[in-house]
Amino acid sequence: MSEVFRWSRAFSVARKEVRHVWRDPFTLAWSIGLPLILVIFFGYAIDFNVRDVQLNIADRDNTRASRQFLQQFSSSQYFKLKHVKPGENVRRDLDQERIKGVLIIEPGFGRAVGAKQPTTVQLLLDGADNSTVGIIIGYVAGIQKAVQQKLYGERKIMPLQMKSRFLFNQEQSSQWFIVPGLVVIVVGLLSILLTALTVAREWENGSMELLLSTPVKPLEIILGKLAPYLVIVLISAGLVYLIARFQFGIPFRGSHLLFVGGVILFLTLCLAQGLLISVITRQQQLAMMLSFISGLLPTLLLSGFIFPIESMPKFFYYFTYILAPRWFMVISRGLFLKGAGIYELAEPLLMLLLLNIILVVVAIKSFKQDMEP
Amino acid sequence: MSLLLRFYPIIPLCSLCLRGEMILKRMMVMSQISITVDNLHKKMGATLALKGITTRFEPARLHGIIGPDGAGKTTFIRILVGLLTPNQGSIQFYQGEQPIAFQSIRPKIAYMPQQQSLYADLSVGEHLDFFKDMYVIPSEVYITRRAELLRLTRMEPFQDRVAGKLSGGMYKKLGLMCALLQSPDVVFLDEPTNGVDPISRREFWELLYRLLQQKILVIISTAYMDEAERCSRVHVLEEGRILSTGEPRSILKRENVDNFEDFFVKYSERVKP
Repeated sequence: MSEVFRWSRAFSVARKEVRHVWRDPFTLAWSIGLPLILVIFFGYAIDFNVRDVQLNIADRDNTRASRQFLQQFSSSQYFKLKHVKPGENVRRDLDQERIKGVLIIEPGFGRAVGAKQPTTVQLLLDGADNSTVGIIIGYVAGIQKAVQQKLYGERKIMPLQMKSRFLFNQEQSSQWFIVPGLVVIVVGLLSILLTALTVAREWENGSMELLLSTPVKPLEIILGKLAPYLVIVLISAGLVYLIARFQFGIPFRGSHLLFVGGVILFLTLCLAQGLLISVITRQQQLAMMLSFISGLLPTLLLSGFIFPIESMPKFFYYFTYILAPRWFMVISRGLFLKGAGIYELAEPLLMLLLLNIILVVVAIKSFKQDMEP
Repeated sequence: MSLLLRFYPIIPLCSLCLRGEMILKRMMVMSQISITVDNLHKKMGATLALKGITTRFEPARLHGIIGPDGAGKTTFIRILVGLLTPNQGSIQFYQGEQPIAFQSIRPKIAYMPQQQSLYADLSVGEHLDFFKDMYVIPSEVYITRRAELLRLTRMEPFQDRVAGKLSGGMYKKLGLMCALLQSPDVVFLDEPTNGVDPISRREFWELLYRLLQQKILVIISTAYMDEAERCSRVHVLEEGRILSTGEPRSILKRENVDNFEDFFVKYSERVKP
């Protein structure tokens, strides 16, 4: 009589859980507030496209050619130029972190250009901030090419030319890159956190002891307790999707069905991770801390959300293989921007499925049916 | 009426003839549960919480496990209800004369933990509804049972009050109701009167006596020595050992003390002279 799994019991546990959620505004606030905060924060604050770089100019030549040269810089929209008065220390602003670079044109520049002779211009850059400076170098290369044509004429046509065209994200918008990745962060963090808290709460509250003494089966408790959160996190994921499409105007080129499938696969995996955390800790505070660490750090640092996996050291590169966010990141970006199909996404989907099965089995197995510490 | 609720299919039968009454009697004896405990050891962390407990719980009696805080009462009861596994020793449940597997008796065991274990944000009625589903009680049975329990505990006016807003005594009564909802054969109550005012305590004991009229096995633990004499059998527990077991009066007579407080005072003097 007690050995059978009963949906009615799982359903009843779920109904109880919905009542908890409904009466505790904290949970609902989390599930709506967290996606909004993350999307606003990451969507608007992070911009890889560096604009309006402050550049000090020491034009010691001050000829028509040097002014033409500088004209090219200021019309590029990337730089804001400030002329340094003669005799002033050109590096001071750089040392005080007020500017990113100094452009020095020595006397004789105009003469050399007039005579079509080779000449140099010096650019001092703040190497302490290598990420910004790296981007600046890219801009400068483009400007150099344009200025060369202008000052030396079309004479030096290069026989080999590289023509680049950006696919998927033609405007190189950071938001297009970031926001589809936010689905991963929101789904991952919320589902781990909410699950870990709900089961830990049951232990802390003492109600787990009473619950375990009834004929209810562990699987019934797990399914009943997690089902409401599955729905909540799905709604949160939907919220991020809507913001991505309609606030940021990001295209969704893939199959929605595949997207929902991927979300559910990743979501159940994270629910299992949260369950595992709460089974181990049995305390809400500790569970919360572990959820934040295990739910946020790998996703932020090792999933390719911001930092490319390809350039990681060998150890970390292979380490990311066991991280579910890494695979779901590929799926989310692939579906949003590239319109990837099931064949292109076969590898991440299979890896996600594999990790999902492992984690779900481990979590269910480790769920205690007794009070043993 | 309440005591016959569990056997209600038999009631029309026994009103028919004398033979029916005999069947009823035999059924009651048959379903009566007793437990023997043999040399139970349990380690909790580094300390040995139970150091070889051997005792017997006879059917249809109110058994009291008494002892001061830290004697091992909760550990003992948790092992009895299957929430902890002993390191050594065994527990055997009997139905009548027949040994019965724990898994088959488990659905008929009711347990009320010592620590607060109800949901502060759920109402009295919602608790009963929830445990009805946990025990898979048919709706017809549940409706009568629920009404009966609410009447018995005088909790009818408080059905919509959430558990977090109940008084200490009412909270314990709600816990008892949840445990009794399924008409159990064995009831384990771990310090049910702990932290409850004297009037509510007396009320709670009256409830227990009514429960006992159903001829079921009730095992209760308590640190209140005056409550020991209310039990029909007492198992005196101290530092993980059973010091004495039997009827309260005969234990006191045997040890030549007036009450159980004196019993423990005398014992501690004997241990550390």
